Amino acid sequence: MTDTVQLTAERAEAAAEVSVRDLTVLYRTDQGELPAVAHADIDLPTGTITGLVGESGSGKSTLALSLMNAIPAPGRISSGSIQVNGVGDVTRLEGRALRRVRGRALGYVFQASQNSLNPLKTVGKQLLDLGRAHDVQDMRGLVRRARELADEMGMDGARVLDSYQHELSGGMRQRVGIVLALVLNARVLILDEPTTALDMLSQAAVLEIVRKVHRQEGLTTLVVTHDMGVVSEIADRLAVMYGGRIVEDGPATEVLQRPAHPYTRALIGATARITGDTDTARALPGRPPDLTTVPRTGCVFRERCPLAMDVCAETEPQLLTWAPDRRRACHADPATTAATGEGA
Amino acid sequence: MIEARNITRTYRTRGAFTGERVVQALRGVDFTLPRGGAVSFIGESGCGKTTLGKILTGLETFDGGELVVDGVELSTVPQRRRASYFRRIQMIHQDPYSALNPTRTVDQILGDPLRMRARQTGDRAAGVVDRAAELLELVGLEPDGVLPKYPHQLSGGQRQRVVIARALTVDPEVLIADEAVSMIDVSMRLGILGLLRDLRTRLGISLLFITHDVATARYVGDGGELHVIYRGEVIERGPTDTVIQSPVHPYTQCLLSAVPVMRGLEEPGPDRLVPLAALDERTRTPGCLFAPRCPFADERCTAEHPVLGRTGGVEQEHACFHPVPRRVVAVETV
Amino acid sequence: MTAPTLGAATAAVPPRRRSTSWTAARRVVLRKPGRVIGLGILVFFALMAILGPYLYPGQLAVDPESIYAPPSGAHWLGTDFAGSDVLQEIVVGARYVLLTASLSALFTAVVGTGVGLVAGYHRGLADSVLMRATDFILTIPAFPLLIVLSTVWSFANPLEMSLVLGLTGWGGVARAVRSQTLSLRERGFLEAARGLGLPTRHIIVKELLPNIAPYVAMQLLLSVIGFIGAEVGLFFLGVVPFSSSNWGVMLNQAVFAGGAMNSPEALGYLLAPLVCILLLTLGVVLFLDAVDELFNPRLRERS
Repeated sequence: MTDTVQLTAERAEAAAEVSVRDLTVLYRTDQGELPAVAHADIDLPTGTITGLVGESGSGKSTLALSLMNAIPAPGRISSGSIQVNGVGDVTRLEGRALRRVRGRALGYVFQASQNSLNPLKTVGKQLLDLGRAHDVQDMRGLVRRARELADEMGMDGARVLDSYQHELSGGMRQRVGIVLALVLNARVLILDEPTTALDMLSQAAVLEIVRKVHRQEGLTTLVVTHDMGVVSEIADRLAVMYGGRIVEDGPATEVLQRPAHPYTRALIGATARITGDTDTARALPGRPPDLTTVPRTGCVFRERCPLAMDVCAETEPQLLTWAPDRRRACHADPATTAATGEGA
Repeated sequence: MIEARNITRTYRTRGAFTGERVVQALRGVDFTLPRGGAVSFIGESGCGKTTLGKILTGLETFDGGELVVDGVELSTVPQRRRASYFRRIQMIHQDPYSALNPTRTVDQILGDPLRMRARQTGDRAAGVVDRAAELLELVGLEPDGVLPKYPHQLSGGQRQRVVIARALTVDPEVLIADEAVSMIDVSMRLGILGLLRDLRTRLGISLLFITHDVATARYVGDGGELHVIYRGEVIERGPTDTVIQSPVHPYTQCLLSAVPVMRGLEEPGPDRLVPLAALDERTRTPGCLFAPRCPFADERCTAEHPVLGRTGGVEQEHACFHPVPRRVVAVETV
Repeated sequence: MTAPTLGAATAAVPPRRRSTSWTAARRVVLRKPGRVIGLGILVFFALMAILGPYLYPGQLAVDPESIYAPPSGAHWLGTDFAGSDVLQEIVVGARYVLLTASLSALFTAVVGTGVGLVAGYHRGLADSVLMRATDFILTIPAFPLLIVLSTVWSFANPLEMSLVLGLTGWGGVARAVRSQTLSLRERGFLEAARGLGLPTRHIIVKELLPNIAPYVAMQLLLSVIGFIGAEVGLFFLGVVPFSSSNWGVMLNQAVFAGGAMNSPEALGYLLAPLVCILLLTLGVVLFLDAVDELFNPRLRERS
């Protein structure tokens, strides 16, 4: 049993486009340096879409930003490594080398993508700026590539390049964000809350496009979101974050079907759904912690956990493999987490 | 209780050089909201649902139709006395972060409208403190902890509860919730929706729920109606479950097809449609407004405007020439 | 939840809150040394303005034996053309300068804020009328007007001086406050206040004002500096008949009578008021940093 588990883990590592090991990101606050992400371990297997789910303050955006080694000022990566296929450890890069990696290896679509375009320049101008910043020789090729991508996403490429931000709808801006992230042929696409602030139809359209581009370009994609629905729509794998820790991961369908961490279970139960009994669904008591209110010892989720035991207050559970390709960080028996939870 | 009849709102902006631009935000919306009842309006952004909420709370005027509050048609009421009618209709804002004054404590936020209300009803202002605590308990907050706090010291969910408590200070009969949970952490959304549902049954408050997310409408709207609004026009309406399970208008079907499927727990509905891109909202057509986007449109649809009615032997009202019920929403697997 | 416990709890709340807002204010100021220095400078000059005339009662001592004397034990900052003690002049003159500037600043803040709030909140006719008035005020070239007015008006009285200065200065504040009000007006909490039917006065005073207070307070402090400059400038140019000893008059005397620009003798006399103005400006600028946090509860309590 242990052997096979070991084996699958190794195989996953070999095929991973990005692998994060023991990543800790600290933020300087009035109360000293506190971890926004603590000992995160995660692989993005080549060619898959991974969904990273968590509430506000869970550290999911921080983790996504650290893949680009782009943690803003009061924060810093204090330990760990991020191996990107063909690039090496991103955490060791700086200056010019780092800038090259951003864009050429890793494409990032920002959370406020609706606002991340410069309102005073056309999309085309911004594309050329991007090209210049990356010393692209063949500008015509760059523009051609951008048009191709835009067409692929169901937009009129030429028209989009001539547009200003305000001339594009929310869904279009999101797509332009994806074009700019991929135009330098990045192999890894990171989308931070790609559908927040979009209505249902635009959300569905953007998700459809992400799926399509992912497949056609052969990307490795990470989608950061708070919405279980979004993840279940497009992700192959699912990682759940809470209080700066990855508390569970595994294949998306399996995790949704049989959540092995009480938080995952609660999050699924708290999602407004179009099917099922509206009476059994319930909100999670309490509020998600932020940097300063996260418990410093023991399990970060224990204060809201229906299964909390004495050991949860003392020892922080490790993210361990408990079944093939499934990991969780919880002291409780996997059988109980799957069975209870709703009774909480 | 409120009744809206054929409410229309047209915005005209006249630029010095651009000429007149006319945007029809609402094209004749009517509904009846009985005591303790619920009506949900769903539609994508820019469909006029937010304008409707503002009109009903008196923050926005309308230029056609009638609004009846407690049996009184508001245009017969002099401007000065309308406030007492609009008081009965309170709004729960989308964004709990801007809906509370950052410079005031919860205590003050609830205290001022309560004192005003006490003066209006002739009650003693002394009861204000008890009432504030009572309201906070009603919305599921612990009064002693919350009263002295500033909004920024509360979580999004707690703030939204304070917003609801504030709306309740003036004894409203109707609450209008415009995207009331879209900016709240997922784990706390159902709590707010449950609270709104509770208020319906416990206080007999009617609820007008405005959202783009059909799934959330299910949680507050049991026994209520679902109205689907497209470019300012209601194109389908009926009992919430009927509209969700067997929608007949292609637009409703598109909206419902866009709801994510929770794989492992649900599977896509057999007739699920492909999401379609938004279109220029200004396109003018004599026919069905949805026809340019509609996968099923024919010549009649582009030439003639369908009106809301009950044809084709279906339970709900709709504005479509080709009403075909389709099962587009996800189906539970277990 | 029983009524007695509630009553007890709320009875305890008001005094506690007042004390916490004081301690919070103290914490805000103590957070950065610059703010403490700034506040120290401001308090120092305020005390000087209040107590100065009592420290040196009576007329300025004239000593023809020591004209333009360098600083010494007897005269810390030296003496002027008449042999009077420069320090004494600075201290005695502070009241007029500071009182005028503060009153003008207060006047602009009150009028500007009032006009801006009402215009921004009511919009429509009130807005148009008030904004045309504001535009009118803004187009008046303040300095030439002051020079013209000075020919018919005696500026010995701080109140008259500040009235004239203030009258020309509130336009900018009004415009800025109006635009802030317009944007706040669309915020959820103001829509909610209107929806609840709260009276307009409540909305303007209790909902709007606290939110623009930090801006107004900053304007107030900055305009104090501006008005000191304007008023000292007037006296320096000598367009206003100098009837009292003040910093502007001192500068005027130092330059035009003392020849401070070409000879080092009157340098002390020239520098003393200049340094005072600079110090005061420094104090205001350093303290400004704290204003935002003082008024914003979220920033205030961050320890």
